[in-house]
Amino acid sequence: MAVSVGTSVAPQSAHEVLARARARAALIPDMLVEAQKIANTLTSGWHGRRRRGTGDAFWQFRPYDQGESMARIDWRRTARDDAITIRDQEWEAAHTVWIWADPSPSMLYQSETASVSKQSRALVLSLAIAEVLAKSGERVGWPGLTNAMTNRDSAERIASALMVDTRAAQDNLPDAANMRSRSELVVVSDFLQPVSDILEWSEQIAKQRIRGSLVQIIDPAEERFPFSGRTEFEDPETGVRQTFGRAEGLSVDYMRLFNARKEMLANQCRKLGWNHLVHHTDTLASGALVALHGRLTGQMEVKGA
Amino acid sequence: MTLGALSFASPLVLLGLLALPIIWWLLRLTPPRPRQEVFPPSRILEEIAKPEETPAQSPWWLTLLRLLLAGLVVLALSEPVWNADEAQLNGDGPILLVVDDGWTSGANWNERMNAAEQTLKEASAAGRPVALVFASELGQAELATASADSLSSRLSAARALPINTHWSALGERIASADVPEFATLVWLTGGLKAPGHDVLKQALEAKVTGQVFVTQPGETALAATAINNAPNAMEVAIVRADNDAPGAGQATAYDDKGQSIATAPFSFSGTATTASAQFELPVELRNEIVRVELDNQKTAGAVQLIDERFRRRRVGLISGGNADRAQPLLSPLYYISRALQPFSDVREPETDNSIEAVDELINERISTFILADIGQLPDETTRKLEDWVTKGGMLVRFAGPRLAAASDDRLVPVSLRRGGRSLGGTLTWGEAQPLSSFEDNSPFGGIPVPDDVSVTRQVLAEPDIDLASKTWASLQDGTPLVTASQQGQGWIVLFHVTADASWSNLPLSGAFVDMLRRIVAVSNGAVTVPGQGGTASESSTDAQTETASLAPWQVLNGEGRLGAPDSEARPLQIAPGTEVVVSRETPPGFYGTSDAHVAVNLFSKDTALTALTRDDLPQGGQFLNYQKTAATEFKPWLLALAFVLLAIDCLVVLWMAGALRTRRVLSSSTAGIAVAALATASILTFTMPQSAFAQDAAIDFESALKTRLAYVKTGDDRLDAISRKGLIGLTRFISTRTSLEPGEPIGVDIANDELAFYPLLYWPISSGVSVPPAETMARIDAFMKRGGSVLFDTRDQISGGFGGARVTVETQRLREILSSLDIPPLEPVPENHVLTRAFYLLNVFPGRYLDGRLWVEASTPTEDDADRPARPGDGVSSIMITSNDMAGAWAIEADGSPSLPIVPPNPTQRVYALRTGANIVMYTLTGNYKSDQVHIPALLERLGQ
Repeated sequence: MAVSVGTSVAPQSAHEVLARARARAALIPDMLVEAQKIANTLTSGWHGRRRRGTGDAFWQFRPYDQGESMARIDWRRTARDDAITIRDQEWEAAHTVWIWADPSPSMLYQSETASVSKQSRALVLSLAIAEVLAKSGERVGWPGLTNAMTNRDSAERIASALMVDTRAAQDNLPDAANMRSRSELVVVSDFLQPVSDILEWSEQIAKQRIRGSLVQIIDPAEERFPFSGRTEFEDPETGVRQTFGRAEGLSVDYMRLFNARKEMLANQCRKLGWNHLVHHTDTLASGALVALHGRLTGQMEVKGA
Repeated sequence: MTLGALSFASPLVLLGLLALPIIWWLLRLTPPRPRQEVFPPSRILEEIAKPEETPAQSPWWLTLLRLLLAGLVVLALSEPVWNADEAQLNGDGPILLVVDDGWTSGANWNERMNAAEQTLKEASAAGRPVALVFASELGQAELATASADSLSSRLSAARALPINTHWSALGERIASADVPEFATLVWLTGGLKAPGHDVLKQALEAKVTGQVFVTQPGETALAATAINNAPNAMEVAIVRADNDAPGAGQATAYDDKGQSIATAPFSFSGTATTASAQFELPVELRNEIVRVELDNQKTAGAVQLIDERFRRRRVGLISGGNADRAQPLLSPLYYISRALQPFSDVREPETDNSIEAVDELINERISTFILADIGQLPDETTRKLEDWVTKGGMLVRFAGPRLAAASDDRLVPVSLRRGGRSLGGTLTWGEAQPLSSFEDNSPFGGIPVPDDVSVTRQVLAEPDIDLASKTWASLQDGTPLVTASQQGQGWIVLFHVTADASWSNLPLSGAFVDMLRRIVAVSNGAVTVPGQGGTASESSTDAQTETASLAPWQVLNGEGRLGAPDSEARPLQIAPGTEVVVSRETPPGFYGTSDAHVAVNLFSKDTALTALTRDDLPQGGQFLNYQKTAATEFKPWLLALAFVLLAIDCLVVLWMAGALRTRRVLSSSTAGIAVAALATASILTFTMPQSAFAQDAAIDFESALKTRLAYVKTGDDRLDAISRKGLIGLTRFISTRTSLEPGEPIGVDIANDELAFYPLLYWPISSGVSVPPAETMARIDAFMKRGGSVLFDTRDQISGGFGGARVTVETQRLREILSSLDIPPLEPVPENHVLTRAFYLLNVFPGRYLDGRLWVEASTPTEDDADRPARPGDGVSSIMITSNDMAGAWAIEADGSPSLPIVPPNPTQRVYALRTGANIVMYTLTGNYKSDQVHIPALLERLGQ
């Protein structure tokens, strides 16, 4: 019987990246189904942009103001009473949203308190947001894998692309080479990369006038550090092993540093005007999806105003 | 090697301790294996602390634990001994080892054996021959020397014996030994002299030339010598030797199951050698005592066994007139038997013929004979009784008209005037006389004199010179009320009044009970057979006349424990007038059978113990004491401690490896699921019966607190629902109409549920239900026998047809059920049955149907009952059978409307059905109480008075 707190859920083979990519690909159909499931819970309450603008759906009647185009008057409504009334449509405009989930080995971690690994949670979240956005007509893409496309089934396309992709599994952070400015980038990762890398990458992306939303996936064991006694820790990415005599003695320092990292990431996002979301794998994915979606649409509103 | 009192058998092993530093160094090199964890943010850990440079580090305390473990093993192997025995004997030549294995040896047998072994060991080391002799060996092979090693098996075969040793035989044996002289004498004694000491001393002085060691215990043994069952306490006489034996102690009395009944302290005052412990207990409890033991003595001499002498006695009663039986309160024997029953077996003869009765009772081996107003007996019977009294019987007589009229009665303690006298009557001189006093030296001494006793008539004793000494109780005017005289071993006691309340109210007072109790207690003491010391014969009459041979039943061993006899024990021969000799073949104990046995004790009444003094030793003798603590070996303890440490070490290693950490949450691994499934399954298995049990207990608890009606769950859901609704309707009816407020009705599973809480069980019979198995019917049977009632309802009156010729399926089923029950004869409820008037006055018992009869247990009518308005008889009929479908008529829905129609549709019939139910419930709860209490005015009216 395993006595350790957490395990790495996928086998590590010689062709590690390939194997991981395959494992990840195998996950994707399930993830897609689940993503659609939780996306459905969200879209049922979906009410467009909630602003007037160009679009098909009726938004509101309002009194005619002088100077407005006569063509916008709703004559049928106007004929019912004395006031001249204008019919507004709800604003609908397509945005480009790039979505990316971290494929690194550290994402494969799952502790015994968590219900899924960080990897699968990240995939579910990213596919779900892709589904939601695609349904509302946004252009959705996966950097390095697909172009941004406007399609009702963008999420499925991304998923099928992910299934055959082996290359994307090695990227550490998404490449913003073919992203245009004023697009959105959603990165779902554990952000355990070296701090300097993250800072540098985010500065570079921000320079392209791309707005980022960083979803930090945290396994509860990573935050609480429930280890005690003599323990040997292995880094799943580098394979470095370290042994500590009294692991419980490390917990205070560890938690301080871990929270500092989180704080640093949040600060950086605040500075750049980005979103930072923390999600734990022992909570439900739908919660994170709602939060993420709220942040994204909120921004779009601001931009569209 | 020796360090003070500590010595080592193999000191070289201690060199192993030198290896400890190496072990220490090795242990530091083998650390416990760490837990292995995959941990993505390990990079953060790098920033916090340096990982261990050398992973080879056990905690210091674990190292210390292991070093201690190794050290303990080394120490244990070196066999350390505390207080190793030192050699005492010197010189050479044969050694004489005399071991006293008599009764005193039980207390310190191990010390004696240690001392003897030590002597053998030393002799073996010095190569000296040893002659081993036990004090209890009589007339065996000639005493000869042997090598010490060959004797140790003989020594270990020896055991403490519960007998007195006789030293004269021992002395002769030593004197006739074929060894010219012994260089050393080692004599292990109990510190007490035994008969024949002079012979032994001479023999020893003649044979022993060198060292003389006499070993004795620090405290000599105490002996319990006699039991005296005084009127208010059982006294145990205790004897000590005339030296500084323990001055105080405690005696404990045990019953025949070996449980202690009471303890009593005793102490010797000053230099007295006797003391007594008193058990002040009620007679009933004293009867239970079979064994009195001095605490912390562990010898056969400190135990006194008690046999039938002190037990509950059989008392035979004969009355002059037997015609009075119809009126028990007037029977002369009524008060006597009521007073005697708590503490004795009362036997009344089968026959009315007093001659045959006397023979019969004497054959029953009674100890006390009570004759109430027997005047003249035939000569032969009188002789028999006299003979019986002489042998130790207690004859108690009560006066009465017949005795007063008799002349020349030999069976009276004092000579009587004929006729007696009356007091306090219309034509008499004196007032009714109160009781004045109980003589202090009589068995009645100490009974408080009741002031409400008055005597209106009595028989008078002739004034005689020894009348006062024969008087046990007297009236205020000095005339004797109770006189007694000793005849041979027995007593004749005369109450000068009758045993009933006609001459005095003495039989009605509490003092009467005390007086009879004292008399019976005296009869216990009076039947001791003389000349047998502590041994008593089983019966006061038989054992004197012929030699009895009794098989050993339970005997004492050397340590005073009662147990099954061993192969050496022989039957005990009790010849009249001879003393029972305790020997190896007949150790102290009980002889006979478990029903009738004789106690044989080691000591009798006048035993004295004498201590062995320096003058009693052979020339140059010196006293030694047994060593309380022999050498203590540490090896087993050290090894045990090492084992404990090893176990701790294992636990620590497991703990450090994480095996003892509990898993917090279900893991997704297969093993986890399997374990969880297994655990769930086992939890289910274990919790389900428990919860069922808990539920049962709760139901029982509720039922025990609240009277409630119950119905038998037949398994037919519709039928059970009707039963339930019916009982709810009846409960509601009873609650509104009567002061009884039953709880919620309950359906019981007769196979499993406890039935004791329910007074009435409604059992509808359904054609589709099979007959319960035999065990269940046994439960029903027990329920009925314990006072519960079952109301069977076949509900088939409508389908039964007319004339009763046709038997329905339900009736058939009922017959099958009842065939396995013990059912008394039944009858339809007679007109004057309590059921007809338990609450309502009823003459029909309808349910949904009108015409079915209600059957109950037949009460056997007597002539007396014939004209009574209600039948007497306390028993409630345990079975009632109806075919009217009672529950169907009682049943109501939740809104109070009836569930089923009445056949014929007559609403009054439903009311009557409910009244019938109320009557049945009242009847089962109150029995015939109603029959003669509530309706007395109406009854009187109907009787026309």
